[in-house]
Amino acid sequence: MENSSMYIISVYSENQVGLLSSISNIFTRRGINIESLTVFPSEFPGIHHFTFRAITTERAAQQVVGFIEKKVEVVRAFYFPDNSTSAAEHGMIEEYLNNNRNQ
Amino acid sequence: MGQRLTGAEILLESLLAEGVDTVFGYPGGSIITVYDKMYGYSDRLRHILVRHEQGAIHAAQGYARATSRPGVVIVTSGPGATNVITGVADAMVDSTPVIVITGQVGNAMLGTDAFQETDVVGMTGPIDKWTFQIRRPEDVAPAVAKAFHIASTGRPGPVVLDFTRDAQVGLADFEYRPCNHIRSYSLPAPADQAAIDAAAKLIDEAERPFVVFGQGVVLSHAEEQLKAFLKKGGIPAASTMLGLSALPSDFPYYVGMAGMHGNIASNMMTQQCDVLIAVGMRFSDRVTGNPFTYAPKAKVVHIDVDRTEIGKIIPVEVGILGDAAEVLGRLTERIRFSFHDEWAALARRYDRVEEERVAAPETAPAEGPVNMGEVVAKVAELSCRQAIIVTDVGQNQLMGARYSRFAQSRSFISSGGLGTMGFGLPAAIGAKIGVPDRQVCLFVGDGGIQMTIQEFGTIMQEGTAVKIVLLNNNWLGNVRQWQELFYGKRYSQTQMLNPDYSLIAKAYGIHYRCVEDRAELDDAIREMLDSKGAFLLDAHVRKEGMVYPMVPGGRRMDEILLNKDEWYHDGE
Repeated sequence: MENSSMYIISVYSENQVGLLSSISNIFTRRGINIESLTVFPSEFPGIHHFTFRAITTERAAQQVVGFIEKKVEVVRAFYFPDNSTSAAEHGMIEEYLNNNRNQ
Repeated sequence: MGQRLTGAEILLESLLAEGVDTVFGYPGGSIITVYDKMYGYSDRLRHILVRHEQGAIHAAQGYARATSRPGVVIVTSGPGATNVITGVADAMVDSTPVIVITGQVGNAMLGTDAFQETDVVGMTGPIDKWTFQIRRPEDVAPAVAKAFHIASTGRPGPVVLDFTRDAQVGLADFEYRPCNHIRSYSLPAPADQAAIDAAAKLIDEAERPFVVFGQGVVLSHAEEQLKAFLKKGGIPAASTMLGLSALPSDFPYYVGMAGMHGNIASNMMTQQCDVLIAVGMRFSDRVTGNPFTYAPKAKVVHIDVDRTEIGKIIPVEVGILGDAAEVLGRLTERIRFSFHDEWAALARRYDRVEEERVAAPETAPAEGPVNMGEVVAKVAELSCRQAIIVTDVGQNQLMGARYSRFAQSRSFISSGGLGTMGFGLPAAIGAKIGVPDRQVCLFVGDGGIQMTIQEFGTIMQEGTAVKIVLLNNNWLGNVRQWQELFYGKRYSQTQMLNPDYSLIAKAYGIHYRCVEDRAELDDAIREMLDSKGAFLLDAHVRKEGMVYPMVPGGRRMDEILLNKDEWYHDGE
């Protein structure tokens, strides 16, 4: 069995009614308890940033992120072990939004 | 500036703008405004009045699977909405494009436990591709446009629009703009060239390459690309249950169905292949058995349009994210012409064993009661493989999958992932309404038919000429099979006392014939296929019928039961 440890799951998304609940359901379905949660507007107009902390395995964190990204309103989601931080996120979101503008 | 219309009219105009000509539904208090406006649209929009909302969504699923166009469902709030939930979950796991419009109480009454109010957004969010509550009339057209875009692109799926009364009755300017872009939802991009190159290299170096394909091939219209790929690489291929009919049954490289009740050849070859190319399938536990012992010698190439499927169950050597038609086309260009004749010929050896030990006793017994597989095989033969085969869930489904034969794609419709009993009858109705020129045959058990038997009323009202083959053994046969094999023959709650189906058929004006004797079977099936209207063929089949071969759940895919006492030994 893989070891569980604290992961940060970081989600950039359109802010729509019901979205927080449908994202948190993805944790619920796998029996993962959310330790902490923050939601605030990101630096990108109209995009909110959700940060979940949860104790889980890397494989589960990876799958949760995949399923979160399947939500239509979600722009991107990432996971990190709690002991690391990423400045790369910002660049990736910016690049994604630039590449996926209305043609 | 467009016309000024009510939200209800905007909904109907938007459906017409998306090319919808048929909807399945059931009226009620919170959707009555839409039904009122629909009264004036009866020349452009055909509404199929079902007998229960679950019937509406399964019919829409059958329609979508047969036609490749999204099915549309209109129901009321509260119980209308909760009654479609099974079908929403079913369409999600089976990637079926369906648009569900649920009525909802007025905005001011949301969250007050108003009559027939329920939290549709909260309930459907976890089991559909997209849910949206329309609260303002000006949001109707954009929401419908987004719904069609989301339901039918990428990996298709169900979308729920919860349509409040305020949005239905309010006025807004109508102008329809189809949606082709959503900032947070990207369409499948061309696949990564490096991944295609890596896959091509593995395939070129393989000695025993093997393909397992799923419904993704059908959804992506990749049937011809798959054929070209298999021919150029000389690669034998198996289908998942939902992939059935993507290749003609007699296609030279096709070795049959994979999985728990699949063909011996496909399961044995899965365990021996050195490169497994999975196309548009999701490694369901009904396909893999124990995933840790699945295809143990293989490097896996997984092609899927859904990123979360790649590596979800089976670790991959190369994952290719993309649309099956595009990826297979490019992959075929990159691989070498190859032959693996000795490897591919193994299939014929396994087929001979299966024919002799399992298929022949099932489909051509010398004496005794009629077998389920025998009925299915006769229908395949007498319909010249031309029918769309719809199944319910259970032994009827497994027999329908095993012994039907197909000549063209989109000819097999069944509830795969969710395994919804009661799916078959309404799905067959939807398929027949979508493709009226084709023969539609349903295989259904005496358990499943009674879960949605009220849809006989829809058949009667709409004159839908579905051909219903009831494989009637007075048992919940598949559970009974498991009880016999794994639960010491304790037949807990699986025996059914059935009604007189001839009287039920008569009540609904459906032609009926009962078959108990093998000598009558051919004639009865011919009569059914030739009949102009709906037909119920009540086949009284062997009570203790079993579906073999069988890989019991959680086993290795080469641990195959040929009958209740005998495991298959390779080399027979």
